[in-house]
Amino acid sequence: MTDSTTVATSSASEGAPGPAPRQGGRALTGKGSGRAGDKVFLGLSSGSAWLIMVILAGVAIFLIIRSLPGIAANWETSSELNSGPTAGFANFWAYAGPLLWGTIWAAFIALILGTPVAIGIALFISHYAPRRLAGALGYLVDLLAAVPSVVFGLWGIIVIRPFLLPLEEFLNTYLGWLPFFSGTVSRSGSTILAGGVVLAVMILPIITSITREIFLQTPRLHEEAALALGATRWEMIKLSVFPYARSGMVSATLLGLGRALGETMAIALIISPSILFSLTLVTEGENSQTIAANIATNFPIATDLQRSALTGTGLMLFVVSFAVNFIARWIVARTGPGATRKTRTRTPKAKTA
Amino acid sequence: MTSPAIDPTRPTQGIQNSLATGQLPRLINVWVVLGALLVSAGVITLIGGFNITGTLVLTGLLYLIAITVASALVENGRKAVDRLVRGLVTVAFLLALIPLVSTLWTVVSKGIGQLNWSFISQTGGSSFNAETLEVTQRVGAWQAIVGTLEITGIATLISVPIGILTAIYLVEYAQPTNLLRRVVTFLVDVMTGIPSIVAGLFAFALFTLIVGPKAFSGFSASVALCVLMIPIVVRSTEEMLRLVPMDLREASYALGVNRSLTIIKVVLRTAVSGIITGVMLAIARVIGETAPIFIAASFTDNFNANPFSGPMQTLPVLAYSGIKFPGQDIDASNDAAWGAALLLVLLVVVFNLIARIVAALFSPKSGR
Amino acid sequence: MKLTRSGSIAAIALVGAVALAGCATSGDSNAGSDSSKSAEATDYSKLAGTLTAGGSSAQANAQQAWTTAITAQAKGLTINYDKSQGSGGGVTNFTAGSYDFAGSDSPLKPEQTTAAEAVCGADGAVNLPIYLDGVAVIYNVEGASDLKLSGETIAKIFNLQITDWSDAAITKDNGGKALAAGPITTVARSDGSGTTQNFTNYLVGTQKANWPYEASNAWPVAGNVSKQQGGSGVVNTVKATAGAIGYADHSAIGDVKAAEIGVGSDFVKFSSEGAAKAFEVAAELKSNGVEGDLSQSIDYSKITTADAYPIPLLSYAITCKTFKDSKQADLVKGYLGFIASETGQKVAEKNAGSAALPASILTEINKTLSTIK
Repeated sequence: MTDSTTVATSSASEGAPGPAPRQGGRALTGKGSGRAGDKVFLGLSSGSAWLIMVILAGVAIFLIIRSLPGIAANWETSSELNSGPTAGFANFWAYAGPLLWGTIWAAFIALILGTPVAIGIALFISHYAPRRLAGALGYLVDLLAAVPSVVFGLWGIIVIRPFLLPLEEFLNTYLGWLPFFSGTVSRSGSTILAGGVVLAVMILPIITSITREIFLQTPRLHEEAALALGATRWEMIKLSVFPYARSGMVSATLLGLGRALGETMAIALIISPSILFSLTLVTEGENSQTIAANIATNFPIATDLQRSALTGTGLMLFVVSFAVNFIARWIVARTGPGATRKTRTRTPKAKTA
Repeated sequence: MTSPAIDPTRPTQGIQNSLATGQLPRLINVWVVLGALLVSAGVITLIGGFNITGTLVLTGLLYLIAITVASALVENGRKAVDRLVRGLVTVAFLLALIPLVSTLWTVVSKGIGQLNWSFISQTGGSSFNAETLEVTQRVGAWQAIVGTLEITGIATLISVPIGILTAIYLVEYAQPTNLLRRVVTFLVDVMTGIPSIVAGLFAFALFTLIVGPKAFSGFSASVALCVLMIPIVVRSTEEMLRLVPMDLREASYALGVNRSLTIIKVVLRTAVSGIITGVMLAIARVIGETAPIFIAASFTDNFNANPFSGPMQTLPVLAYSGIKFPGQDIDASNDAAWGAALLLVLLVVVFNLIARIVAALFSPKSGR
Repeated sequence: MKLTRSGSIAAIALVGAVALAGCATSGDSNAGSDSSKSAEATDYSKLAGTLTAGGSSAQANAQQAWTTAITAQAKGLTINYDKSQGSGGGVTNFTAGSYDFAGSDSPLKPEQTTAAEAVCGADGAVNLPIYLDGVAVIYNVEGASDLKLSGETIAKIFNLQITDWSDAAITKDNGGKALAAGPITTVARSDGSGTTQNFTNYLVGTQKANWPYEASNAWPVAGNVSKQQGGSGVVNTVKATAGAIGYADHSAIGDVKAAEIGVGSDFVKFSSEGAAKAFEVAAELKSNGVEGDLSQSIDYSKITTADAYPIPLLSYAITCKTFKDSKQADLVKGYLGFIASETGQKVAEKNAGSAALPASILTEINKTLSTIK
């Protein structure tokens, strides 16, 4: 009992899903065999891990150094920060707060719209479509990942903006009492709803490609066992595919979320942004701006101190993406079959806990 | 033991014998779809004029309801749910096809007119007539193609080995409690959300330290792209390696194969298709970047094949600048931009094909 | 190269006339200084090397035309002008030493002038006006093809006080002819921009009573405003949205209609001569203290006649007075000298839709250039 609890807590605090299989392997092979090839390979791979740490830590340090002047400056008295893109804010947090909100809000809309569809497509390709068709369909989706985000932005302007206009008017007229659809309806279509729809399309291929691969990796025996027990196809998927793929599905969604959070050009091109807290989806003047788009649109014109403030908002984006990842990993570790799997492998007795 | 098996203790709530219940005819789906289509076309026309989007959406809804109800009546509840889910998945897929096809169609239809041999093989630029003082634009993407291939190629050569090796370390070697593993996982997580412009700033600042203020080069752009690529490669590879069944590793160890060979010959080969998908995603993600290229490699209309010195042009930058900073003839600029975008997509298609062939050569024959 | 604007033939004819007059004056005034001989006589073919520069996107098309024109003679010269950086990026990269010169829609601020000394040495950096254009007020209103708007009406529209096209103020500007009622959508830049800076300069300079904001490179009005990225974003959105009005560099508006702007009791269409005239009457030298600096401040209240376009847009080249490498100094002098020649200005006018700067200021620029070493 105590043993299982500590295992669960440690995996939760480290924020990683329980990788049970590896531990079995370790137990079987014991220490390294001592052969030279093994050593070289271990050296190479741990060296890469160190290198990544150095590079990524370098980026983080660079960001912190660059953004400190902007965060620490007195925004009320600085003439530089009171002009141009950063004008009218009492301090850094008053500036970064609405941007943080906008970033999360836009990504949230995209995830709500995109994830179920993406997983649906992956499932269709892996378990429903005729096999010949599946390959072609998978390819089509992969192709979409190749479309540069500028093009998504342009597509949003040309196709999605006018397409959504009637829907936005409808929502505003009949559901305007909901905070989401209130306000003066947009006439050009550059709403955060249009941005969210395009973002959802952009994250589709990422989530779909990875979940598809993971669904396909489900051990054949598990599926066949389920079917043999009389399960319908959906029950088979629920019982054998989803539990197996849960960690991977979360990972894929997080990669999609990462893209949605950091997406720049498409958002910058499509929505008409303002720096404020807003829930509205269909207005022209009350769309919360996102951090990445704000950096991209204002960086070129900004002076040094303003650039530092903008870099500071980039740092905030780091914090957000870390928090989101951390929470998701924690959820997987706690609720996913990974957690129970781990305790069972280690201490079969603990299953009752 | 090794993988999330079906929990034998899970109560199997009242399974009805599916053989004992009725069955809907085989072609029922076709009939229901046709019926739904007719009904919804009729309804939409009656309400307020025919429109395709409305009809299709209504058809989807009607189909889902009808097939579920029919199955619940004739067959049983479990089968009804199964049919409902199958319907939902199919509808989700068809729904998603619309934007996918629309995007591709937009790129292809707008870019195809531009795509000819001289656009690909020519260096873009302009010529000057000293008498009329007129500058004539010559559209061409050769300098951008070379730039894209070199910058992305270098970034891939650096990030893929580092990313895969790191994933191997994380999955195959490191204990979950290992500090390095925890720190790397943490950093990789954080880095998936890095705004691309920040990566560009970092790379440029780094190279300013090394080579002085005029640090614009294709290579510094490659480094910026590496920062964006590595987390994607690590994350996706890690996920794929986790999925390799433990039985395979154990079988290999039982045969006396050492760990590095097991990883190379068994684990990597089993996961190769997934890893390549991940790598292709990473390439697709960075090949279309504009912001870091602007910052680290600057911008030029001139041909420059040396990635270690001087500004370089890439296809996404060509597309972006054609739209954002059009020349006097706005339509011509936009056309060139769409041509560049289409070329970029085609480039990735070719990469994807090559990668899939490679994957097929290396991956073990499977039942699927 | 298609000139889509109406009256292009007339414009070309006028250009020719202006150019001829310009040649005469420049010939006279430059007789004493041999480093800046009249452009036609200057030999650029000996310039060889690489110039790295960037900044203002307003200048982008002109820079490209200039680059093409000079490299047609100077085969060994490579010029990389990065238009994606924007004015701020240009200045930042210039003060960091990454650029040989920067393009910027506003001259260096005092602290930037100080910062530039780190790269340029004690002699400092100079701002040279090289590009003149106008900000156009563009619109998309059904049934209106020659919209006239006074400064006051423009300020009220963009400040969201006038929200319908049938408003009495708009009717009055258009000689009593009322437009069909319909909501006005104002379209502004979402990104920081020199165009916004120049447009708000104009509103602050002429409409203090109706425009309560300060001049800024970021659009100050909050509320029901459509904010779009880039000049092309504004132009495309105005084009696609009925009832929209926006502002953009005149050279970038394509076939979208531009309003005639009120000056006194007249309404003025954009023209090259109009912008040049506005520069002549309203630009005042406002040096940053460095000898030879040509920063200008535009006094909008002086633009009162119907032959001057009221919203000029001025863009600068910023460069060091002393280079560490005299070879780079020669290249910069050569290139900027070409830009500041009659030919250079004509090339920009013809290929980028800008206005040629008056000969008097070109002489000043060449004077400053001759001191660069």
